[in-house]
Amino acid sequence: MEARSIASDTARELFQAHGAAVYRFLAVLLRHHQDAEDCVQETFLKLLRHLEAGGETSNARGWLFTVAAHAARDRQRRRSRWIPFLPAHAAPVLPAQLPDEDGRLKIARDALRQLTARDRLLLALRAQGLSYRDIAAAARIRPASVGRLLARAVDRWATNLRKDGNAYDVLERHSNPGAR
Amino acid sequence: MPMTCLNDIQIQALADGEGHDAERTHAGSCAACAERLRQRRLLMSGIHDRLNAPIAVPAPIARRVDEIFRLNAEATGSDRGATRLRADARGFSRGSRSVRLQAEGTRRLAYSGVAVAAATLVAVLVIVPMVKGPTTVSASEILAKSASQLAAPIASGVEFLEYELTLDGVPREIMPDQGDGVYRVVQVIDHGVPGRFHFASFAPGGAQLTAIAEDPAAARRVMAMRIDGQPYRFELSLPPNPMFSEPELQRMHMQATVAMMQASGNQHMQVIDAPEGRQYRIDVPSVSGTAPAAVWDLNEAHAVIDAGDYHIVEFAVKGAFLREPYSMSYRLIRREVKTSAGVPSGAFEVPLEPGAIVIHGEGSPIAPRDALVAALRELARARQGR
Repeated sequence: MEARSIASDTARELFQAHGAAVYRFLAVLLRHHQDAEDCVQETFLKLLRHLEAGGETSNARGWLFTVAAHAARDRQRRRSRWIPFLPAHAAPVLPAQLPDEDGRLKIARDALRQLTARDRLLLALRAQGLSYRDIAAAARIRPASVGRLLARAVDRWATNLRKDGNAYDVLERHSNPGAR
Repeated sequence: MPMTCLNDIQIQALADGEGHDAERTHAGSCAACAERLRQRRLLMSGIHDRLNAPIAVPAPIARRVDEIFRLNAEATGSDRGATRLRADARGFSRGSRSVRLQAEGTRRLAYSGVAVAAATLVAVLVIVPMVKGPTTVSASEILAKSASQLAAPIASGVEFLEYELTLDGVPREIMPDQGDGVYRVVQVIDHGVPGRFHFASFAPGGAQLTAIAEDPAAARRVMAMRIDGQPYRFELSLPPNPMFSEPELQRMHMQATVAMMQASGNQHMQVIDAPEGRQYRIDVPSVSGTAPAAVWDLNEAHAVIDAGDYHIVEFAVKGAFLREPYSMSYRLIRREVKTSAGVPSGAFEVPLEPGAIVIHGEGSPIAPRDALVAALRELARARQGR
């Protein structure tokens, strides 16, 4: 009884601490922001059950991103089985605009879309500051392979940026702070 | 011994703060590697910058998650005797997702319609609002539309339904007048007069097995059944204000199950171009594991839903009720709605079978119990009369 209340409080604290990062991660990975929202909910519902069951919390951030990554992968697989929109299915609810204050997220999503699913996942996890060990767990790859796969993903990302004409604006901004 | 220059993987690891001391030392002393490391760090910084756009969790999802935590915390003091629709905690650890109606405490047998209604309410109030209007249509949304259609039945006219029903282990609490087997079921429901209906089930050969008809205006319920070849007929007075009629109970069971399918979040959907028009087939794959206190588990289900008006064409569930496994499948053969004027005069009458033993009595909200009580009273009278 008491454990459930404590679990709820802990889950709420973890949502406040990591909810936005998990949402950003999922918004980058998934094509539809509704899917990102659903996966956020799924992730934190699982966290609640995990806490109620007395699960380990020493690396809550890594755990959350692992669960979120798996939820995103499952969602993408299911999406492939969905059917195109037909007017007959129209619901009187318009999709909300993706909150993207300076357009960076759209550029990032466009660049990521040209990568493989694994490359996208690795970059998105690394961008959230996860260690190689946590990335390995979330992406279901061997820890020893993370560096090699990540290096290649980063190279492909940079190549795509050059190809799209966005070349090196990031590098320039960082090497010339006055330009920011 | 001087170290050779770092490869791309080692540079990447150092840029990510994961490299070894020897590599770090080398990068500190080798100008070429130091420059490569600087470039890689800039690139990684750019990736981090781009993939961490300043966006917060949208308010609706934040509210939804907070509501989940709040409801979970509030459940602390009211667990005992509660009935609730919840995500399966054990399912998570097994990588599966099932939704379970769980009741704890000692009043499990009081479940029936009340629990179905509670599950339906939870599903409609909690699950359906989660379905938004995206740019594609999902299995979940189709189930939501179907559940909504079930929740808003026809308001007038007389509905004729004919379907094939296959039951295996279905608990009497869900469908009190049906045993296991394959039946053809005919239902006539008067939507203009709540509570007026006639249900009959037939063996594959066409012989009537069971029938029940209620007419609130005449305060009359007639039940017919055949036991060891002997037909019995119970003519009972109908109690005022019954909780739920048989059609309502069946509709709520289907509605709650559809909502549970929707909540499972693990549906597979196929589009079928059938001769009758486009249909959606939605499957919730089998999940394993039942909790000891589970009253009602939905383990596996599929529904075929008409794409035109979202009515259910075919429906099958497997699960457990009071820890007893059951399965039920429903296949619609005919469905039509007529005005009252077009309804045959005997549509709501249970025909009197030749040689039937007729028993009269008083009815209660629980029809099967009435038959038992009336039969026992009749037996007692017969003994006293000897």
